[in-house]
Amino acid sequence: MSLPLLERAIHGDPITRYTDGAACSANGLVNLRLIPPTPETSSPSLIPDRLPEPGEQYRFHFDMTKCIGCRCCEVACSEQNGTPADQSWRRVGEIEGGVYPFTQRFYLSMGCNHCADAACLNGCPVEAYTKSPETGVVLHSSDACIGCQYCTWNCPYGVPQYNPERGVVAKCDMCHNRLADGDAPACANACPQEAIQIEIVNIADWVADHSAANAPGLPSSHHTVSTTRITLPGELGPELEKANHTRVHPEHPHWPLVFMLTLTQLSVGAFAGLALLRSARPLAAVAALLVAFISLGASTLHLGRPIYAYRALKMWRRSWLSREVLLFGMFAGSATAFAAATMFGLPRLAGIPTMLLGFAGITASAFIYLVPARPSWNNWHTLVDFHLTGLLLGSAFLRALGVDVPAGLIAAFASGQLLNQLLKLLRLMRSDEFELKASARLLSQDLERIFLARFALLVLGGIALTLAGYPIPAFVCALVGELTGRYLFFVSVVPRNMALPWAGGRAA
Amino acid sequence: MNWKRIAGLDTLAEQYSYAQDPVKGYVSASKVADHWVATTCGYCSVGCGMLVGVREGKAVAVRGNPAHPVNLGKLCPKGLSEHHTLQTKDRARNPLLKREGKFETVTWDHALTTMVDKFRAVQEKWGPGALGVVSTGQLVTEEFYTLGKLIQLGFGTRNYDGNTTLCMASAVAGYKRSFGSDGPPGSYADLETADVILLIGANIADNHPILCARLQKNEKATLIVADPRVTKTAMLADIFLPVKPRSDIALINGIAHILIRDGLINSEYIKLHTTGFDELKTFLEKFTPEHTASVTGLPIETIERVAMLYGRAKAAFIGWTMGVNHSTQGAETVNAINNLALLTGQLGRPGASPFSITGQCNAMGSRETSFTTGLPGYRKFESSEDRAEIAALWNVPVSRIPDARGMAYPDIIEGAIAKKIRALWIIATNPVVSFPNYDVLKQAFGNLEFLVVQDGFHPNPTSELADLVLPAAVWGEKEGTYTNSERRVSKVNKIVEPPGAAKSDFDIFLAVAAKLGVRDELFPGWTGPRDAFEEWRKVSSGRLCDYSAMTWESIEAAGGIQWGGERLYKDGQFQTADGRAKLFAIECEPFPEQPNQNFPLILNTGRTVEHWHTRTKTGNVAILNNMSPRAWLEMNPRDAKKLDLKPHDKVSVVSRRSRVDGVELRVTEIVAPGQIFMPFHFAETNVNRATQSAFDPISREPNYKQCSVKVERTSERSV
Ligand code: SF4
Ligand code: SF4
Ligand code: SF4
Ligand code: SF4
Repeated sequence: MSLPLLERAIHGDPITRYTDGAACSANGLVNLRLIPPTPETSSPSLIPDRLPEPGEQYRFHFDMTKCIGCRCCEVACSEQNGTPADQSWRRVGEIEGGVYPFTQRFYLSMGCNHCADAACLNGCPVEAYTKSPETGVVLHSSDACIGCQYCTWNCPYGVPQYNPERGVVAKCDMCHNRLADGDAPACANACPQEAIQIEIVNIADWVADHSAANAPGLPSSHHTVSTTRITLPGELGPELEKANHTRVHPEHPHWPLVFMLTLTQLSVGAFAGLALLRSARPLAAVAALLVAFISLGASTLHLGRPIYAYRALKMWRRSWLSREVLLFGMFAGSATAFAAATMFGLPRLAGIPTMLLGFAGITASAFIYLVPARPSWNNWHTLVDFHLTGLLLGSAFLRALGVDVPAGLIAAFASGQLLNQLLKLLRLMRSDEFELKASARLLSQDLERIFLARFALLVLGGIALTLAGYPIPAFVCALVGELTGRYLFFVSVVPRNMALPWAGGRAA
Repeated sequence: MNWKRIAGLDTLAEQYSYAQDPVKGYVSASKVADHWVATTCGYCSVGCGMLVGVREGKAVAVRGNPAHPVNLGKLCPKGLSEHHTLQTKDRARNPLLKREGKFETVTWDHALTTMVDKFRAVQEKWGPGALGVVSTGQLVTEEFYTLGKLIQLGFGTRNYDGNTTLCMASAVAGYKRSFGSDGPPGSYADLETADVILLIGANIADNHPILCARLQKNEKATLIVADPRVTKTAMLADIFLPVKPRSDIALINGIAHILIRDGLINSEYIKLHTTGFDELKTFLEKFTPEHTASVTGLPIETIERVAMLYGRAKAAFIGWTMGVNHSTQGAETVNAINNLALLTGQLGRPGASPFSITGQCNAMGSRETSFTTGLPGYRKFESSEDRAEIAALWNVPVSRIPDARGMAYPDIIEGAIAKKIRALWIIATNPVVSFPNYDVLKQAFGNLEFLVVQDGFHPNPTSELADLVLPAAVWGEKEGTYTNSERRVSKVNKIVEPPGAAKSDFDIFLAVAAKLGVRDELFPGWTGPRDAFEEWRKVSSGRLCDYSAMTWESIEAAGGIQWGGERLYKDGQFQTADGRAKLFAIECEPFPEQPNQNFPLILNTGRTVEHWHTRTKTGNVAILNNMSPRAWLEMNPRDAKKLDLKPHDKVSVVSRRSRVDGVELRVTEIVAPGQIFMPFHFAETNVNRATQSAFDPISREPNYKQCSVKVERTSERSV
């Protein structure tokens, strides 16, 4: 395993000291500037002439006053990393404002921001991300990654790119291996305007004041403490907007997750009923257990690398995804035991731990989605939504299996969900935040029919058919309704992102 | 089904691994080369030097040549991905002959025999001029030189022109009229030294981004950009002049008026080196700041300020591209620009030049060797001396040298409609997308008895209509020289073999000459493009574009050599009979198709940085096409509101001629109310269905930049 030269040097590897004594600095490290120029000569101003010291890190500087939006950096990055054409690690966004002829057009060229408080890293269940202690570069390991794509939801800049062909995520690594050789990153090197540079920043100072990381068309730097410093033009108009702000389309539905979430919730709700209701029966317990196993199994289909699903337990101390896996794992174990126990006529209250683990699991599930980078998820409606689905479907499921669940209770759960969804829509519509408004627009325009169908199914299954005494059709309607709801949950989210080009991407 | 991948094993680790390239450094292992070939970029006329990395016979990487004086190691996104053009799927591989509507692969021998027989038959029946030839700006100079001789002396038709007439003809004609010869007088270095830079109708940030890098080196210059659209380049300007469409002549005349009024002209220079000053002075009297303001839409103070800046500049540079050339007054606009430079003596000195920034990589080479608008080496058809000289050089009777230009490109197309042209040979250009008013072209093609398309790419919209397709090698598969905008002759080298049976255009021309029986007479002993270069050195000797001191080797070693040195006309001696430059009184006329109630919007067309011309190349480069996959239409929010259109609506652009359907609407303040803009790259939504057949009477260049249209929502039915 060959470490990049810089890291090898830091770890005292003698091979790296190939230059003569004068070229080595006092600490024995290769002084980058003194390395004989490699054939790919980078302008010295593009990269620092020393290594970051403790408490410092590398960062990008982007000079918006110089950038002409030519997108050389984007192509150079793709060539450097051999990335597929539709997965750019560096993207050039357009921002626009003003009134003709006082129009303002500017560009944002961004790789990864190598954040001080990196959300990608914090959420990853397998520690595929590490922040290099020497350089501050947020590194991603394709070997460790299981392709859960959680980081792509967590990064407010839309930086990590999922590569379906390979089943893992990848992103800008600041070309740290080039930096270690004294070469500028490919993007910086290619920029005809020298608008991209690498510099060194004192981390504590930057955490205290990172306002220079903000620019029109970028999410606020406070989410992750982006380290990219941006030089803005002098007379920026107040009304500059992302050029692509009118192009909003539905996100990926993540079908395995739609089923996994809905069905695990159903199963938890059913076990809660089994634990609390007097007339619980072994058959229902086995059925609920089956649902749990099917859904948890199906969830691995969401992963780019299902075979490594077990790794997801690793980061339970900090990742909600790890916690979810852990809690649902424990729930499944406990539910198995409980189902077996019911056969032997053990008291149903033995189901209480299963129920609690299940509710904890649903809560962990919800917390996965409570991320600032996805504003329409990031509110209590998500938590309520997930639990109500569990209660509604769990009780309707039991009733369909002949367990004596009061119809009024089911109708109450359904009404609760109805109310929750309406309040959420209202919240989205009334918000000033672009992403929330845009979500509301998706629901009320592009997805309007599906949205209405979801409501109709909820009313029909959860209330009308239930009260009318048709438990099986009621359950089926409610289930389809909640699956539709979960589908809408995924597709109607408008993620935070940097400004992107007006052209490109999907046609409207 | 790849079960390993589905299970989640990393089956592609190797594809995504990295390695050390001795030249590029740490890089994706898939881009590591075993050797590098130095060459010149085959897209635009900036003429960047590049190195192409080859591994096992395949081009795998590209880097800017840090030692090349033009680009100092930088490249635009097209250059940075140019190696991909050598491995695209739509390459022409075999000669194809159409029989009963279907292409059949034939041998080269069969293809060329058929071609020569058909052409000869047409010429015998309808006269030699019934054969038309339209070439390009994409070949190497050696090939242009060979082709010119083959067409004019071998086939004996004068009706030969290039795609350059859709592009640079106005600059050519304008330079000829003002200075007595074509040839941009300045250098890119002027961008670094001028203290005032005026760009007119030139969006270099999109179209020549590497020139922005040169510009950026100049910290003291005031950059003034005149354009009706707020382009990326406009955003770089210190002063942006949002002129009304086609009011540039008024702007230039207005500036000249103020310069004369305030004595900011160089009387000494005018007296010694120009003719026509008095007439011009009288003519310009009416271009008062008030009048100029009313025509251009600019405030009087701005016009005064710009005139002051230009008049007081130590070195002033004027650059232009298609905003000027694509006009029925293109050549005249160039004359107006040249006037300004002559009045102030702003040429022939560092930083001072009226400079046309060219289009295609070797449009300049086609202009030098020409045989379209003039005789090779900027000689004139009309001059009996020039004719005698060239006849002597070639050892042919002077009677075989034509004494007038044949039909220009648009006239060849219209000639086909009038059945004066019966057979057509199209080389490395795609008129189905690039020619204005598509319906006319379609009708013209329908009239032809035989259409030959020689191209590197098939199928493309034009090659599909051909009776015979000749597969040609493209950039990277052949050798020769290109001349860039600043007259720098650079070497172009072969990197890989052409695909299938494709041959270099040079070899095709020689093979056609052999079939025609003129090879030994016109190209005695020639085997490769170097033979053409050696003859061209002799033919250009003593001319403005003098290659006699250059060799392929010296060009290569120097990273390109500028003929005429860094700049022309240093001594104020011009190529006219009396050695003086001519000043012209140029009227500012309204563009031909003014908007009215039915067609209220002015349509402007242009480019975007990701694409090249009709996308036969860049549409095949995944990353470029992904960055810019579709055409769009820019419209001001005020117009969109009036028309009740919303962003991303699919709209139709309708002109008196035809319509373009299903274009995505971009509602933006980039364009002025009343004006719309659409890129011309996309065959699928071809804006040239809407543009008009209006041509500059002098240069024959089409008026692409303004025509009147209406925009409506595309109904489901019309798509
Ligand atoms: S920009 Fe996104 S991917 Fe990069 S470090 Fe910050 S949070 Fe992570
Ligand atoms: S996809 Fe999942 S495992 Fe891979 S880096 Fe992102 S969060 Fe970590
Ligand atoms: S630093 Fe390297 S990986 Fe990051 S955007 Fe630039 S070229 Fe791409
Ligand atoms: S290469 Fe430089 S100028 Fe061009 S878009 Fe990227 S950062 Fe901007």
